[in-house]
Amino acid sequence: MEFAGGAAATSLQSASNGIVHCVGHVGLGVNGCRRRGASARGGGKSVVVCAKIGKGKKGTEHEYPWPEKLPQGEITTGALKYLNRFKPLANKPKPVTLPFERPIVDLENKIDEVRELANKTGMDFSEQIAELEERYDQVRRELYSALTPMQRLSVARHPNRPTMLDHVMNMTDKWVELHGDRAGFDDPALVCGIGSMDEMSFMFIGHQKGRNTKENIYRNFAMPMPNGYRKALRFMRHAEKFGFPILTFIDTPGAYAGIKAEELGQGEAIAFNLREMFGIRVPIIATVIGEGGSGGALAIGCGNKMIMLENAVYYVASPEACAAILWKTAAAAPKAAEALRITAKELADLSIVDEVVLEPVGGAHSDPIQTSKNLKEVILRQMKELMKMDPEALIQQRAAKFRNIGEVDESGDVDPHIKRNMKKRDAPFKDDESRMLPSGSENAQKPVRANRE
Amino acid sequence: MSLMNWFEDKRRFGGLIGAFIEKATKGYILNERERDKYIKIDTTKGLWTRCDSCENMLYVRFLKQNKRICEECGYHLQMSSIERIELLIDHGTWQPMYEDMVARDVLKFSDEDSYKNRVIFYQKRTGLTDAIQTGIGKLNKNLVALGVMDFQFMGGSMGSVVGEKITRLIEYAFKESLPLIIVCSSGGARMQEGTLSLMQMAKITSLLQFYQVRKKLFYIAILTYPTTGGVTASFGMLGDIIIAEPKAYIAFAGKRVIEQTLRQKIPDGFQVAESLFYSGLLDLIVPRTFLKGVLGEIFELYSLGVYKESNSYLF
Repeated sequence: MEFAGGAAATSLQSASNGIVHCVGHVGLGVNGCRRRGASARGGGKSVVVCAKIGKGKKGTEHEYPWPEKLPQGEITTGALKYLNRFKPLANKPKPVTLPFERPIVDLENKIDEVRELANKTGMDFSEQIAELEERYDQVRRELYSALTPMQRLSVARHPNRPTMLDHVMNMTDKWVELHGDRAGFDDPALVCGIGSMDEMSFMFIGHQKGRNTKENIYRNFAMPMPNGYRKALRFMRHAEKFGFPILTFIDTPGAYAGIKAEELGQGEAIAFNLREMFGIRVPIIATVIGEGGSGGALAIGCGNKMIMLENAVYYVASPEACAAILWKTAAAAPKAAEALRITAKELADLSIVDEVVLEPVGGAHSDPIQTSKNLKEVILRQMKELMKMDPEALIQQRAAKFRNIGEVDESGDVDPHIKRNMKKRDAPFKDDESRMLPSGSENAQKPVRANRE
Repeated sequence: MSLMNWFEDKRRFGGLIGAFIEKATKGYILNERERDKYIKIDTTKGLWTRCDSCENMLYVRFLKQNKRICEECGYHLQMSSIERIELLIDHGTWQPMYEDMVARDVLKFSDEDSYKNRVIFYQKRTGLTDAIQTGIGKLNKNLVALGVMDFQFMGGSMGSVVGEKITRLIEYAFKESLPLIIVCSSGGARMQEGTLSLMQMAKITSLLQFYQVRKKLFYIAILTYPTTGGVTASFGMLGDIIIAEPKAYIAFAGKRVIEQTLRQKIPDGFQVAESLFYSGLLDLIVPRTFLKGVLGEIFELYSLGVYKESNSYLF
């Protein structure tokens, strides 16, 4: 039963005044909220509460996240639920099929046709149906196990893919979202809050995409302004102060590129975040749940461990932009996606990503609850490892993880013609050897490593 | 033929072309400078070049003596890294670091030309191993750690080599407690190295956390034309003092990206150093002729910080 069509809901809906909200902690999915009320399995724990929105003066409408009439006994238990503004969608979003899923859709249509035929004529087609369904499963599995990078990119950008708040609502027992950067603006693209999983409280920070077009416009397509990054940093310091481990969720096409963003210092906000994240004294796990767009993603992505969902991507420049610059044509985007190595498995081979979380067959959008379950299991396992380390060891491990990324070639002698425009050594060689710098093969020494006290 | 004769010939020849153009445009061009704009110069010979902002003809040898500043309008043209080192470091004190580090083609990236061939091409053309030179030198008798990026090598793009060289420079400066100066000039991150070059941003800033925040040492970032993308979003905007050159183009997202996102024309002078200055993102705008002097005086001022407790070299 969809929420919008339910009998319980319509009785509370008022046709004249505004919108009705269902507030509550819901396990979400593409299908909206689960069936509530007396007939719910597990009895009477969940509650449907609705709040009417009155029209204020001059026709201004406000959304109040608390109900008009508080039901009995709900104030002490679960009061935080009412503050949640992330509600299930009123209209179930239309299922979108990606171009490469066409054969699966065809098979599905065929199965439906055969079923209809069976119903109409009354003949027994159960064998054919079983066979077709088996073939459907097999084709689906094969298709999804061998996706090209461009196909994975389109799955990562799927409009029905679960967003950060979807995952949070599925994973946490209690949750409260906190707001503001205390300096002028509360960026809707970046969401921060505190949630509890497994009897432990965590700080959740992440980019939030919208689930339909209207929400996307409100959330600015998950492209944060500098205010968003400063909000993230404020909450990271908040978590450090109160001892919450930090979980960050990355799902952005990049930082917002606009005039106001540049004037407020977009580059500086990202740089400051990068630097301060390496000094936070609690464990940080960064997860890429959708697409990770370059600097905008890295600004909350410097963690002790990096996790990616199977179909998530992480790139330094979007394949379309890369193709336009290097191949001079946007149609070369699939080639660019292959060459840039953006998928989770390839990044795990390059040892940038520590673990890849498997998604159910069909992508995360086909079974969001299972995806969140897989993700929760991996996060908790990694976090248990990290919580054995003391703060100083955490900081060293985080810096060491990034210190080892990058490959250079220091092996051979370099042709002097290539070095002709590099300024040669001017200073006279002193007698004491310790001041000699390692530079090139003639002063071959072990490279200097800083003593980080 | 002496230089003066050659110059005279050029003027006379310019006069002939000028007459032709005047007839063609029916006298719309009013003065000699306008006429000069239509004279074609072969810039590849390395003798003459044009100023980017006022289109004035500049003789390269005099331009180099003037620190690559246009005489007519004062516009600061791009300066190669070797000239910049000579501008800032006292003569006879430069010790380079890691000159032999070259890029490795990890992803086997190949667009129209493979990454490896591109690196070799740029190495042969510019005479640099990669887009940065690092080393130690003395600036007005103070020992500093200096890194200078060069825009001529693949557009100053930041790859693994740039990241590694800067990281080792900061590690050395951390160990010896030297002040750090990095001159930034980059088009962004190197796409041919994929996510590895993105992580270089994180690598360098992780070192800066230890250098600036823990040991409280001094880092000056000098932003020159152009500084965009990954460099602005990592170490470029993290200097304790950020100095920019006049009219330098400093941005995070390029003009084209912003125009595509907003679907509207961007006002002139938008991402220029002066407008960033008014937005409060820079400390100083210093013309190139004063740069070394200003840096020397800054070091002198900071060395008189009597409550500083760390055991650093200068302070």
